[in-house]
Amino acid sequence: MLDALKAIIRTLYIIALMGFTLWYGYFLYPVIFGTTEVETEEDFASQEIEAFFGEGTTEEEKEFMKSLKQQQRISTTDLGYMVIEEQYVKGHFHHVGMKVETDDNSICTRCHGAVPHDKAKTIRAFLNMHAFYMACETCHVRPEDDEQEWEFRWYDKATGKVVANPPGLNTLDESMYGNYSAKISPGGIKQDGSFKFINGPKELAFVERYLKEEGRLDDTQKSKMKKVIHRNVNEDPLICDGCHTISDEPYLPFTLLGYPQRRLHELTSTEVVGMINKYQEFYIPNLLRGGGVDKDVETE
Amino acid sequence: MLGMIMNIDINNSLYGVCPKGWRNVASACISGGLLYMLLMFCGLGLFSSNSIAAAADELNCVLCHKYRGLSRIDEKGDFRLFYINQGLFNKGPHKRIQCKDCHTDIDKIPHDPAKDVDCTVQCHLTEPSGEEKFTHKPVAEVLAKSVHGTANMDEEEIEYPEDYPYCTDCHDQPLYRPLSFFKGQAAGVSERGLSRCKTCHQTGDFAEDFYNHVTSRLQKMRVSAEIVNLCAKCHGDGKFQERHGLQGNVVASYWETFHGKAAYFGSDATPDCIDCHVVYGENVHSIAGKDSRTSATHEANVAATCRASECHANAGEQIAGYQVHTDYDDPDKYPMQHYMLKFFKYLMAGVMYFFVTIIFLELLRRLFPNFSFFKPRKEIRQTTISTAGNE
Amino acid sequence: MQRYPKIVRRNGKRYFFRFSLVQRMQHIILFTTVITLALTGFPLRYYNQPWAKPLYEFFGGIDIAPWIHRITGLILLALFLFHTGYWIYLFFKNRVGRLIREKALTVGNVIKEFFSMEMIPNKKDFYDLIDMFKYLLFFSSRRPHYDRISWKEKFDYFAPYWGIPILGPAGVALWFRDEITQYVPGIALNAFYIMHTDEALLAAIFLFFVHWYNVHYSPEKFPMATVFLTGYLSEEEMIHEHYDEYERIMKEEGLELEIISQNH
Repeated sequence: MLDALKAIIRTLYIIALMGFTLWYGYFLYPVIFGTTEVETEEDFASQEIEAFFGEGTTEEEKEFMKSLKQQQRISTTDLGYMVIEEQYVKGHFHHVGMKVETDDNSICTRCHGAVPHDKAKTIRAFLNMHAFYMACETCHVRPEDDEQEWEFRWYDKATGKVVANPPGLNTLDESMYGNYSAKISPGGIKQDGSFKFINGPKELAFVERYLKEEGRLDDTQKSKMKKVIHRNVNEDPLICDGCHTISDEPYLPFTLLGYPQRRLHELTSTEVVGMINKYQEFYIPNLLRGGGVDKDVETE
Repeated sequence: MLGMIMNIDINNSLYGVCPKGWRNVASACISGGLLYMLLMFCGLGLFSSNSIAAAADELNCVLCHKYRGLSRIDEKGDFRLFYINQGLFNKGPHKRIQCKDCHTDIDKIPHDPAKDVDCTVQCHLTEPSGEEKFTHKPVAEVLAKSVHGTANMDEEEIEYPEDYPYCTDCHDQPLYRPLSFFKGQAAGVSERGLSRCKTCHQTGDFAEDFYNHVTSRLQKMRVSAEIVNLCAKCHGDGKFQERHGLQGNVVASYWETFHGKAAYFGSDATPDCIDCHVVYGENVHSIAGKDSRTSATHEANVAATCRASECHANAGEQIAGYQVHTDYDDPDKYPMQHYMLKFFKYLMAGVMYFFVTIIFLELLRRLFPNFSFFKPRKEIRQTTISTAGNE
Repeated sequence: MQRYPKIVRRNGKRYFFRFSLVQRMQHIILFTTVITLALTGFPLRYYNQPWAKPLYEFFGGIDIAPWIHRITGLILLALFLFHTGYWIYLFFKNRVGRLIREKALTVGNVIKEFFSMEMIPNKKDFYDLIDMFKYLLFFSSRRPHYDRISWKEKFDYFAPYWGIPILGPAGVALWFRDEITQYVPGIALNAFYIMHTDEALLAAIFLFFVHWYNVHYSPEKFPMATVFLTGYLSEEEMIHEHYDEYERIMKEEGLELEIISQNH
């Protein structure tokens, strides 16, 4: 009995070893005949482009492949006493000293990306700056008249969970200043007393599903769904002075969100508010006052 | 030449326009930024560039540019990030330059999209070895005459002018790489060394700046691997090399050398592109093509380049014959390497596949120890037991 | 020199002498240095593989690992020289000495003695190879009857014995690259580089698979053959691997009747 078992084990071992031998022969080929040249990223990308699209690649296609390659590229600067690892931004001169985290929990960025504001030329960079730590819903969606007032919380860009005080909010450390890894987003208290963002995991799952299966809709249905999905997007987004105001009740409850007095003062100081007023006067386009667009940008 | 630039930089930053207490001025400016803005808004904001003591952010640009997400996608489709990391900005020689010194076209807040920066403009600092305002123009002129510039070429000769680099194609914002020599060399600032400077030079950050500036210039500003990756932005691109009639993938062949491998593993001492392609002791911007008689890589100069005092000082003249950028796939240019490698490849393949086959057959044989097509007579009647059975 | 009994008995089993202590120690030095050299060398060859950097860091990184590699290399070179002296010594002591005693010392006889040394490939190896293929390809069920050193073992032996003179001097030349270029053209460094790195690769892929198959992976040996420690081979192994020698020793020791057939 034991001998039979031994013989079986032995046979299995031999078969496994034969497999290993075959694998080794397969493994050796590239080791022996492997290319001596290391392919550069560029070469690799261009090869892939050709494999993808054949000859006559358009600029759009090239840009797409390049983006695929360069996503999340990190550039490193070794100063000896410290090593700076930062987001690679093509053609950027100044050191940014940070990595731009992706927001995995926004339903909007799935299509609109992290840098969505483009229409209002004079203030688009400011608007994108706000999108860095405020969910789209904060300004672009407002409670219905019959709805109870919303509450605001920070959510972690990676996990989507509520975070009480994001690091960087209450710090004097320059390297952490404004480095929240979190966004402010609206929500409400459910009947069981727990807090729920207006767009949480359930809505995110819907967006995922929609994007996956959009191809099954016919063209008319697609247009319809586009309208339905964006139904609660407010045509009049919240504008600057909703929050940057000297009044006692800004739209966002800064204190509840954990802003220290110092930062609160910054946001509502005459410095910022004054500048915004100037902006309003000279630069704020009609876009932000009733759904229009910048005067030199054509309507979509 | 290197020394020349070093001097300009050092002295400029340190002896330039009176830096007394500029940090205090800076903080005063930040808190009082509104005043400036109001001045500007009223149309009075025409600054004289050397009006007051140097301050990095006289205009309070960071009021907005300190926010991390300040960004947009530009018309070309590139991501533009306008965030300024002040902590890092102040770690380099540009800390004493105002934003407006480089971004000269910005004259109001809020401002229009800024133009590209021209590094050859004069900034407000005085170059202390002379009386001139400081500018990177001399460097740009050296670059223009080098293989990376078009100054020495006829107009018809210039193909692909867009391929020739501008300052910022190679340089990002410079950062100090200070060294400490106090009781042995190490990276970073020696607080004990610095305290000696501060015995006399107590005002402001003068001592810190001087220390940082000088010790940074006593070593390379970047580690070898970073330089190689920098050059690889163009010279690692096969199509670029082809366009300019340059030899294949020089970056890949560099990584294959011991120089490259050491660089890859973080050695600071190993030569990068600059060490061999710049004439020893010359300005790094003066790289010449290898056909030029003055080039570090001209046949007649290679030996001297290799035998530079920090490198292969004891080597013979013949070290010039070592072929750094070997392309093993090119039998015409590198026949010896090509055929040697081929010999070893076939030797390896021959030996290994012979044994792989034998071992495979041997294992197979073990599964059927007693089977054979032809049985010699004396073996036919033998009752054989497999070797396995016996163990 | 210590005399080793050809057969010893332990627990009622016979064990056959194979390697003397000096030989076993040479082997231990050989494999420890070779493994160290491989571990400090291949991270450089495959620098851009994910395992390369951590492994190299383990050996002290770019500042220290090269020195471990060089010193280990020197030890291996010293072993090579020792071994060469060792076999020459044995050759003179055992064979030339005998010729002198027999008063048959002629050039022809010395050459003959040289080629009859057990490590030198001979005609029998060729026939053994044919026998082996016959056996492996199921043309015969008779295993090849190897003598004391089979052709495989000779191959195993000459792999390092030809490898070290290629690898070693090339390595030393790359080490003293400055000085060497005073005597040889620079392109020789390119050649040394290929010699060093590609011969090393051959050695590594050979040892890892073929040699370790013979002494580790093979079903009879797994997990490890013990002859490199004890110096003695079991009767079972002798019958399988060195049948000719087995028969000869048994006869020499007067145990002719106890010889076990290979297909027992």
